[in-house]
Amino acid sequence: MRTIKVSVVALLLAGLGACAVEGVGYDGDVGVGVGYVGDYYEPCCGGYGGWGRGYRVGPPRGGDRGPGRSAPSIPSHGRSGGGGHAGGGRGGGGGHR
Amino acid sequence: MTRNIYLALCIVVAALPTARAAGPRTAAAPIELPPLVQPASGETHPGKVIWADLVTPDLKQAEQFYGALFGWTFEPVGGDTNSAIALNAGQPVAGIVQRAMKAGQQRQPAWLTFIAVRDVAAAQRSALANGGKLLAGPKDYAQRGRQAVFADPDGAVFAVLASSSGDPPDVLAEPGEWIWSSLLVKNTDHETGFYRALFGYDVFELPPEESSDNSHHVILASDDYARAGIHSLPADSVHRHPHWLNFIRVDDAAAVAVKAIALGGKVLVEPREDRHGGQLAVIADPSGAPVGVMEWAGPEEAPDAVTDQPDLPGAQKGAP
Repeated sequence: MRTIKVSVVALLLAGLGACAVEGVGYDGDVGVGVGYVGDYYEPCCGGYGGWGRGYRVGPPRGGDRGPGRSAPSIPSHGRSGGGGHAGGGRGGGGGHR
Repeated sequence: MTRNIYLALCIVVAALPTARAAGPRTAAAPIELPPLVQPASGETHPGKVIWADLVTPDLKQAEQFYGALFGWTFEPVGGDTNSAIALNAGQPVAGIVQRAMKAGQQRQPAWLTFIAVRDVAAAQRSALANGGKLLAGPKDYAQRGRQAVFADPDGAVFAVLASSSGDPPDVLAEPGEWIWSSLLVKNTDHETGFYRALFGYDVFELPPEESSDNSHHVILASDDYARAGIHSLPADSVHRHPHWLNFIRVDDAAAVAVKAIALGGKVLVEPREDRHGGQLAVIADPSGAPVGVMEWAGPEEAPDAVTDQPDLPGAQKGAP
């Protein structure tokens, strides 16, 4: 009888444990869910920091050219068409590597 | 009597795994994501940022914020009442997914960046071979295509998408659309190698700026267009987890920042002029998800714009 009790308790704990895992996510480290691919929360949080005057994250604007091949820009023509790489694309400084 | 109770308990416990497998997963209808491009474009632009999904604990709040800020409208996603597609001037521009955040969970709502690939399996092989980690998928969505989510070697999370309707054409983003993406990381060299291997980018080192804090900036390009930047995290944000940050084109970044505060958001980086000559800012929506806003003058407005100057002396064209 005692053996049966122990077995039942062990089975119950195992079953509950399995239920608890459900929904934790594909990767508990970053919180990716098991449902929609792309369902995640980022690790939190940290300050965003002060971006110094020279800290620039945007794309270069076409037109400036440094030595060698320079960084391209983003597309500049609208959906109405007109111009392939016009204004976007090549130019902007920086060195190719 | 006692023996019968134990017998019944055993039957219940034995049935638990079956009930679990057949419960939530089969009860939820498959999510029916709309095609990325309608009509199908037939274009492929590996390495281009083609979509973004916001994961948030409050869908309604997100709709109110982004609707008021950018003029987006929203449609429910078929099969999932907790998701919506955001439309800019009637064109799909983003997805919003509502997911509960566990009490006490130290996580932050965020926008997930989707980058175009031709072959998700090949992307997976490259990512894993170069220090990345598969987080979810690959998974097929009937009309959308195949997608998977990865963490890069620094831990920044991104997704790849092989769109079954093709990729959006290379045109200048309209106001309210994504115009730029930046990756803020700790190890720019390692990260650059990772993304170059994965997407075949051309890589351009940007010269150090005056007054810079020894930060390192790289432009990733494909099809002769800049696709994204990789930037070392500012020295005073070392505790920030490496992440992708996407920018929406706006007409007036300062006005958008003020409005974001009025709508319950925050300004994380005050409006400032960037290298392209326009203002940009970083804001957080009411749930805390960061998003960038960026002004971009059209060709007719930009004083330094080149209208089309192929084959200038010294210029090199084409992929290496």
